Amino acid sequence: MLELRHITHHWLGPQGQRQTLLQDVNLCIEAGQTVALLGASGSGKSTLLKIVAGLETPESGSVWLDGQDISDWPPEKRRLALMFQDFALFPHLSLQDNVAFGLVEQGLGRAAARGQAQALLQRFGLEGRGVERVDTLSGGEQQRVALARALITQPRALLLDEPFSALDAELRVSLREEFARHIAEHGMRALLVTHDETEARAMASAAWRLQGGSLVSLW
Amino acid sequence: MMSTRFSAKANALSRQRHTVLWLAAGPALFALALLVWPVARLLWQGLWGEPLAGLPLDDTGPWWLDGHLQWRVGWTLVQALLTCVLCLVLGLPMAWVLARLEFKGRMAWQRALMLPFVVPTLVAALGILALWGPRGVLGAPLAQAGWTLEGSPWLLLLGNLFFNLSLVVRAGMDGLAQVSAQRVAVARTLGATPWRAFWRVEWPVIAPWLASALCLVFLYCFTGFGLALVLGGQRWATVEVEIYTLIAHELALAQAASLAVAMLALTGGMAWAYAWVERSLASPARITPVPRRPVRGLAIWSGWALALGAWLLLCGAPLLALLLQAAQAVGFGQGWEVLREDDTWRAVGNTLRFSALALALATALGVLHALAGQAMRRWAPAALAWRASAYAPLVVSPVALAFGLLLLYPQWLASWPLLVAAYALLAYPFVAKALTAALDALPDQYAQAAASLGAGPVRVLWRVTLPLVAPALRRGMAFAAATMLGEFAVSLLLSRPEWLTLSTLIYQRLGRPGSANLDAALVLSAGLMALALLAFWLIEGRGEPRRVPHQD
Repeated sequence: MLELRHITHHWLGPQGQRQTLLQDVNLCIEAGQTVALLGASGSGKSTLLKIVAGLETPESGSVWLDGQDISDWPPEKRRLALMFQDFALFPHLSLQDNVAFGLVEQGLGRAAARGQAQALLQRFGLEGRGVERVDTLSGGEQQRVALARALITQPRALLLDEPFSALDAELRVSLREEFARHIAEHGMRALLVTHDETEARAMASAAWRLQGGSLVSLW
Repeated sequence: MMSTRFSAKANALSRQRHTVLWLAAGPALFALALLVWPVARLLWQGLWGEPLAGLPLDDTGPWWLDGHLQWRVGWTLVQALLTCVLCLVLGLPMAWVLARLEFKGRMAWQRALMLPFVVPTLVAALGILALWGPRGVLGAPLAQAGWTLEGSPWLLLLGNLFFNLSLVVRAGMDGLAQVSAQRVAVARTLGATPWRAFWRVEWPVIAPWLASALCLVFLYCFTGFGLALVLGGQRWATVEVEIYTLIAHELALAQAASLAVAMLALTGGMAWAYAWVERSLASPARITPVPRRPVRGLAIWSGWALALGAWLLLCGAPLLALLLQAAQAVGFGQGWEVLREDDTWRAVGNTLRFSALALALATALGVLHALAGQAMRRWAPAALAWRASAYAPLVVSPVALAFGLLLLYPQWLASWPLLVAAYALLAYPFVAKALTAALDALPDQYAQAAASLGAGPVRVLWRVTLPLVAPALRRGMAFAAATMLGEFAVSLLLSRPEWLTLSTLIYQRLGRPGSANLDAALVLSAGLMALALLAFWLIEGRGEPRRVPHQD
């Protein structure tokens, strides 16, 4: 279980004043479950995601994973894969090296990592394109590569920060179905940050709205 | 109907071609007469030239058969490469501190990075001596402890670092600003430690920016003259100084020309590498840069203190030492006497007069060059070549250029317009570069809106375009003015005694024995630095410091 316990966080406004962003936030995600987090721009959704990933430290509260307090763990030790709306693919690496990135960090040899990346790319409909540059891909293909890159390391959870908002409406619908299928196949738990309730309903079994620093249950 | 449309299109194209030709004619002819032709003349002299009439027979062989010259060429290469390595090793951590940490005084430090681009070469050389020389603020106690830098290559390397470190720091900052925070975050969540994320995700983004800056550093150090002349001494001087010595003191023109040709080939190769790297630096799509964080934790504090301390020691302290020693020379020595001499005020007058004339010429050429570049945007390869040509005066060594001018226009040597034109040639790239960047960033809609409101092309330029790019123009002019006020290499070769400038006067005083002359040189240097900074401040006004190359 991925668990957030009593997370509180502030930010400094333009005039240097302290403003509450997250106030005593508690959240649980069971194994195999996708939970959606909705909220207006600036409500703190992405900050909460970064706190889970270990990229930001909350002022108080803790993050637990399968019974372990991981609050002090650096991001690379948590194995929680993060995906952004603009894909954040590495432009200096080929498709296969992007996907193999995490495996190399885990100590796997480059050739073996590439082999696994090629196999996964095939399952994502990108067979034979492993040596291409990432800027030759369409938006949907780039997001598929980003998902493959996240899944290949078998992370303990997937953190999705508005993963489809840079895509057009038609592609968004088909890709979120595809993503939901891949996530289910891998038995992955996922935290989806989005401002689109339809998207949340299509992918998540539970949803919360972040409002005034607190979570309000939606379903 | 169709033919009318075709003929209207053909007319429009023809008008554009005429505009390009009119705009480009001035800078092109000027560069042809003052740069291309003199360099071609020098090449011819070096490769096939007969001994020049009126000079003793030059029976020296080519440089590659002369052990002394071989050593000079080798050392020139080594000192340029060593400076590149030192700039990279020291500059990257400094760039990281400035780009990634938030602290009081960060903006002041960032603005101070511009100082070396404004300080004249000889002032920098005197600053290095005032700090590290045998009578220097740090040099004297070091000498007492039995460790002197005089006669070692370190004085020249410290001078090179003073001029080039800030260039690499700025390039590193520009590169780090292009790193996407999200890509770093993804790398971290995929298992990369901060160090691994730096090497695998950040370094590939920064590397081209650093490579571009290091190409320039290599070029500046390889073709540098003033610093090597004053700080290199007999043993550690560079090829440029050797060429100057061969021309001015030994009259060995054939050997000087063959050396200059070798220099041109090498600098040409490096300039090509620079242009190639620079092409890959086009600003990428919108990214979220990595946010700055406060200075917290012992390791970050130590790194911050070390980076700031090293920059102050290498780039700030020489200027402070110069001011201190100049003040001491006025207060306790004979330094103030130089302010009563006629030569001093004649040199100040000449420096201001030549620089003002050259600034007017350089501004006109720079504006025409930039506008021509904009007008030829439709013809992409030509536009690229034209833009690159603005850098040519910066990569040809000033000594080689002055030598070419000497060979080509011996009859004009007694006329100051040649000197002013040479100054303008070295300065107009600063104007052209700054203005080109500003014009590129200007949306076409402004001009289109003005045209739709009835303004012709000249009125659009005058009422819309120029006011919008005026800050960039002023910045380019400010760098150009600072360059000309402190110009040394061309002045030394082309100047006559009655055209004494502050740079040549400082060099004269340095060449004379006695502490009174050294005091005078220190006072004059402080005055020249003040003059360059004042001119820069007056012309530029308020504005962010930008990445601008400098010239010896």
